[in-house]
Amino acid sequence: MSKQLHELIFELKAENPTDFPVDFSHFGVVGSGDMEVIIEQKALAGAVRIKIVSPVTGYDEVWRRVLERFVNETGIANASLEINDNNATPVVVSLRLRQALSEIV
Amino acid sequence: MTSKWEKFQQRSFLESNARTRAIGLVDSGSFTELAGPRHRITSPHLPLLGEAVEFDDGIVTGVGMIGKKPVFVASQEGRFIGGSVGEVHGAKLVNIVHLARKSYDKLLTANPDLPEEKRPAVIISFETGGVRLHEANAGLLAHAELMDQFQDCKGKVPIISLIGSRVGCFGGMGFVAAATDVIIMSQFGRLGLTGPEVIEEEMGKDEFDASDRALVYRTTGGRHKYIMGDCNILVEDTITAFRQALQEVLVKPYVEIATMGCIGSLKKVQSQLKLVDLCARVSPKDAKDIWKIAGNDNPDALTDMPLDVFLQTVKHLTNSDQGE
Repeated sequence: MSKQLHELIFELKAENPTDFPVDFSHFGVVGSGDMEVIIEQKALAGAVRIKIVSPVTGYDEVWRRVLERFVNETGIANASLEINDNNATPVVVSLRLRQALSEIV
Repeated sequence: MTSKWEKFQQRSFLESNARTRAIGLVDSGSFTELAGPRHRITSPHLPLLGEAVEFDDGIVTGVGMIGKKPVFVASQEGRFIGGSVGEVHGAKLVNIVHLARKSYDKLLTANPDLPEEKRPAVIISFETGGVRLHEANAGLLAHAELMDQFQDCKGKVPIISLIGSRVGCFGGMGFVAAATDVIIMSQFGRLGLTGPEVIEEEMGKDEFDASDRALVYRTTGGRHKYIMGDCNILVEDTITAFRQALQEVLVKPYVEIATMGCIGSLKKVQSQLKLVDLCARVSPKDAKDIWKIAGNDNPDALTDMPLDVFLQTVKHLTNSDQGE
């Protein structure tokens, strides 16, 4: 089986949604064990759409849990996230997503 | 409340990512990124190899101002596949230089008397191992195209290299940097052709021990390059230090900037050939042998002394040192 990049898409909704406040934002570097993320406003009736592009497979459920926690804890809503992942651990993913939000003044 | 840009100024250049460097080197708030993450121009080749992509393909390009001067910026991200040059990365690098030269032509056609302080310049923050092997042909082509753009810039647009990041500037990009007008480094910057690990792999640990950090820095680091004359200016490891050195260079007349490079005249070629003769005669075992020849009586002390002391006391290798 040849190597390829895999795509995962999740659509989640926070319990207490807060609309994402800026048009476009970007954070991170796709280093080994790291990831970058683009977060943009997108009208999704309060939901969040997250696309992950990654060389790693078999971690769908881990991604879901990390992302659900992130969405519920931050309340991020009406946003589209695009992640380029390079083998980041759940801890790193959590950290980077939160850092991405904290960069938005 | 300190702005982001102001905070960047005191940051370690070595620790700063490509975007931070690009934003911090030009005037506050002046940087506009071109072909950035928003445009998502990712590598078309990496996915086929199952390799992760980056929205900017490992390079930040754009325009900012330094005083009244439009500055075309390229800043490489060493953490993305070693800052290596792939197709998109290469195209961005080539095209930002091309854009600078086109802007020069446009500005000077509209106003032939445009003062130097308003004429464009190119700055490149190198952090790269050279060609990205996954995209080797495209990477190599980009090196050639970039050298071609440099030629088009001669007589028009000064090109300044800044080398002070973790990966250093190696591979084909080493000679590309050597083809620019001015090289500003920090002592943590490294500049060379074949990287230390590759030398060790090819020639063995006895020839070159890549894990010997002191050796690596004596051979390719900023202080050695400064003694050899491969780098023009050595600065402290902060964004503001690099920025200040850049400002000092950019106020010089272009005719002066154009003389500061390593190559570009018969005299300079002859100087390089003399250096080859010197090495053949002396057979140096270590950079310190050359430092001594350059007139530094205590070469061992040069590596650790504070930068300001180093700059005051160090002797450069000159033409007369290389002489008969």
